[in-house]
Amino acid sequence: MRETSTYLYQNMNNEREAIRDVVYSTDPADFSYMAVNVPCQAACPAWTNVPAYIRCLYESRFDRSYEINRIVNVLPGVLGRICSRPCEDKCRHGERELGQPVNICHIKRAASDFKERGHVYLEQLFAPLGKSVCVVGAGPAGLAAAHDLAVVGFEVELIEALDTPGGMLSSGIPEFRLPRDVLKAEIDGILRLGVTLRTGVSVGTDVSVDELLTSHKAVLLAAGCYTARQLEVPGEDLPGVLSGLRFVMDVNSGRAPMLGKRVLVLGAGFTAFDCARLALRLGADDVAICIRGTEEDLRVTQDEIHEAKREGVHIRALMVSTRIVGQNRVEGIEFLRTRLEGTRSDGRRKAVPVEGSDFCVPTDTVIVAVGQGPEPIPAPGEKDRRNVLKGDPVTFRTSAPNLYVAGDFMTGPTTVIESIASGRRAAERIAEDLTGRKFREWAVRVQDTSVTDREREWDFIPRHEMPTVLPAIERFQPPQPEVEGGYTPEMAHEEAKRCYLCYLHYEIDIEACIYCRYCIDVAPRDCIKLVKEVVLDESGGVKRLVETTAWEEVNAVVIDNERCIRCGACLRVCPVDCISVSKMELVQRTLEAGRD
Amino acid sequence: MAGDHVVIIGNGPAANEAAMTLRERAPEFRVTIVGREHVRQYKPHLLPALVAGKITEEDLFVRSIAFYQHAGIKLRLGQEVVDVDFDTRRIILAHKEVLRFDGLIIATGGKPRIPEPLLVFQDVMMTLKTLTDARSWIDKLARVDCVLIVGGDLTSVAFAKTLVSLGKTVKFMVDEHGFWPLHLGDETRQEVARRLASGGMELVPCRKLRGLARLSADEIRVETDCGRYTVGAVGAFFGLVPDVRFLVRSGLYIEKGVIVDENLMTRYDGVYAAGDCAQVYHPTLRDYWVSIGYRNAENLGRIAALNLIGGKVRAETAPESIFHVDGVDIPTSWWAEI
Repeated sequence: MRETSTYLYQNMNNEREAIRDVVYSTDPADFSYMAVNVPCQAACPAWTNVPAYIRCLYESRFDRSYEINRIVNVLPGVLGRICSRPCEDKCRHGERELGQPVNICHIKRAASDFKERGHVYLEQLFAPLGKSVCVVGAGPAGLAAAHDLAVVGFEVELIEALDTPGGMLSSGIPEFRLPRDVLKAEIDGILRLGVTLRTGVSVGTDVSVDELLTSHKAVLLAAGCYTARQLEVPGEDLPGVLSGLRFVMDVNSGRAPMLGKRVLVLGAGFTAFDCARLALRLGADDVAICIRGTEEDLRVTQDEIHEAKREGVHIRALMVSTRIVGQNRVEGIEFLRTRLEGTRSDGRRKAVPVEGSDFCVPTDTVIVAVGQGPEPIPAPGEKDRRNVLKGDPVTFRTSAPNLYVAGDFMTGPTTVIESIASGRRAAERIAEDLTGRKFREWAVRVQDTSVTDREREWDFIPRHEMPTVLPAIERFQPPQPEVEGGYTPEMAHEEAKRCYLCYLHYEIDIEACIYCRYCIDVAPRDCIKLVKEVVLDESGGVKRLVETTAWEEVNAVVIDNERCIRCGACLRVCPVDCISVSKMELVQRTLEAGRD
Repeated sequence: MAGDHVVIIGNGPAANEAAMTLRERAPEFRVTIVGREHVRQYKPHLLPALVAGKITEEDLFVRSIAFYQHAGIKLRLGQEVVDVDFDTRRIILAHKEVLRFDGLIIATGGKPRIPEPLLVFQDVMMTLKTLTDARSWIDKLARVDCVLIVGGDLTSVAFAKTLVSLGKTVKFMVDEHGFWPLHLGDETRQEVARRLASGGMELVPCRKLRGLARLSADEIRVETDCGRYTVGAVGAFFGLVPDVRFLVRSGLYIEKGVIVDENLMTRYDGVYAAGDCAQVYHPTLRDYWVSIGYRNAENLGRIAALNLIGGKVRAETAPESIFHVDGVDIPTSWWAEI
């Protein structure tokens, strides 16, 4: 399962420093280790190698940092602004008593901001295969799929119903969060691989799926979710009640509707926040987002909540709408108060209405942003109850030959990074199905390395918040600027220093250990343990350490990498050099033809 | 259970009343108060009098240190709780120490509210919630003659009067966030303004505070929707909000404060919240209610302690109250917007 190759290690001055052995492993135990011990990468749906790109940024290698991102998440400049950041929720620095998570997303953006113009792409291109694939939808999933299919040698035709590519990125996100030149540059990076883009073409109207299947070896439908969900309460049809998605799309296309002074937004996701912040920019005075749960239940980042409030958006919690009222147009919403009670099947908290707690909030405009679903596209194959094509979540195949689905079109609304991951995985399956071979594989790359050069005091560097346009009132002056200004290189460097570099693996050689326990004495937390047993899981990974305080029961001194903050104190104090460090990275490596 | 450790987070009236109740009713428990400030419990409503020089700091304190020693209540002062792990029943302190507890009462009280759009000016504005704040005001007032009061809450009126009594020029600006959570009608607003003016304060007829810039240590330029002013200090008086930010990741139900049932219990066994940081559903208001005021806090602290040791005392939700603004009665129910 493990194979060794040599790797030319280069230091930051680009000089050859040493030749070290590199091992690529596909052993399930190593994947299991990575899932637990590098939590940021495991949490990223696209498995972005977070420690590696943060380390590169620390070394001021912005191009490399950007490329480590781009080869797996395709749109780092975009994601550096609008990613939902599941990695930060799992960052070890955010564990109790360790402070706050690293601002991983802001560092990603810094890599994008400070890379050289015309930097070198990293991915290895495969020779043309002489086969074409059509990707329907130029949103995150479609763009990612088109990119990956082009890299492995397919001719790719990318069809978009709107006038510009980007999908929700260009039509569903306001420019104050995502400047369009950033998006365009990264889409151009995909198109430069030879992808043919056709915009303004609606599949099902201008061209049928059957026609596309005839002219291509495979068709991937990644058309996103553009049908707004209804609130399903009386009064929803009253004038003054707007669909959130439609509202954002209209504003983005320069057709902003008239709003009243008082606006209530119903919804808990990014679209709801975009609507509220856009409403303020369009002149509304009093804007509130009404949610069933509390702020903790919002499906947006803390930064988003903070910035929205700074601009004057109110968040009104623990209420659920029951009716929209008004004579000739909306005049208010009737709500019931809610209370939190247990958790739902998806792990989120349940908010249940409180009987007899009805009250009414007056308003001039209501914006409903409670989610959206895919729009049915006429196509062969099995459909769900809403007549949307069904796809297999693992193979991305539909029941129709050579017809695939991916992204939000298959799953319903998700995040941008989830859509990108979905598009990439669908592309991988299509490539394998059409050629019978694997082009790339995920492996754990293991390499001996030297002790961390992190200093313990870096662990106490406060989290660097993103500079924004302040006071907030200046954000509303035309031309309305991007709210987040981005780190300076110095800020990015300081924030990068906070990363523990969890891809470093510390291990004690039990044969050489003299049980002096110096390492335990210097450990900053309970990360080195006296154990009598190491319990393994089915994959062979460490499941549990059975600790003991009875000296006669101790069978090993073990570094618990799940608790370790990679400070290196143990290694430095060890009198017999029995502690080693290796770098373990989950990477996607290119396979030569004929290998799998 | 004998020897159980009850930790009380907070050192205000609710926290101290809870500690006293536990000491009286359950002497076998170990009781620890963890307070962020470095001083023992004091009466915050006397802070304007302290600033005015009418009382000394010693007059503020409720009990002596010796009292706590004698009562066997451990005081951990100057220590900040940054997180609570309810699974392992551990409290994490800012200096990385971990405290274990068997029972917990959260009584952190409120902290000055600065409306989010004005947070960017936070460093330029002064508040009056703690003894440290009062000392800062005393120091500042020795050097400046003109003070702008922004917002409007119970403390602001008392403090503005204090400033007038000290011979200071007081500008009072009831901006768009003033007297939160109330929306004052025009008539009430005018009446409030007239009364404040008759008290020797100069009303600033503006609704929006657009900018604050420090020109020097004792000079601040104020930019509003109706003009610019230069003052020596700016006091922010926008009411209080529950000081429970450190608990948002803990698993407790938190809206503005910690949501508790009518027995002040949180969703975790043996964990209670009391005073200005607790929110209880109020069936009459049809909203979640935070009781404010010294006596309310003491009462809730006592109830939390009684219930922690096995009682079943209900915290009676307070009736709608009257907010007196210098002679003008404004019916209010704290969180309920009227």
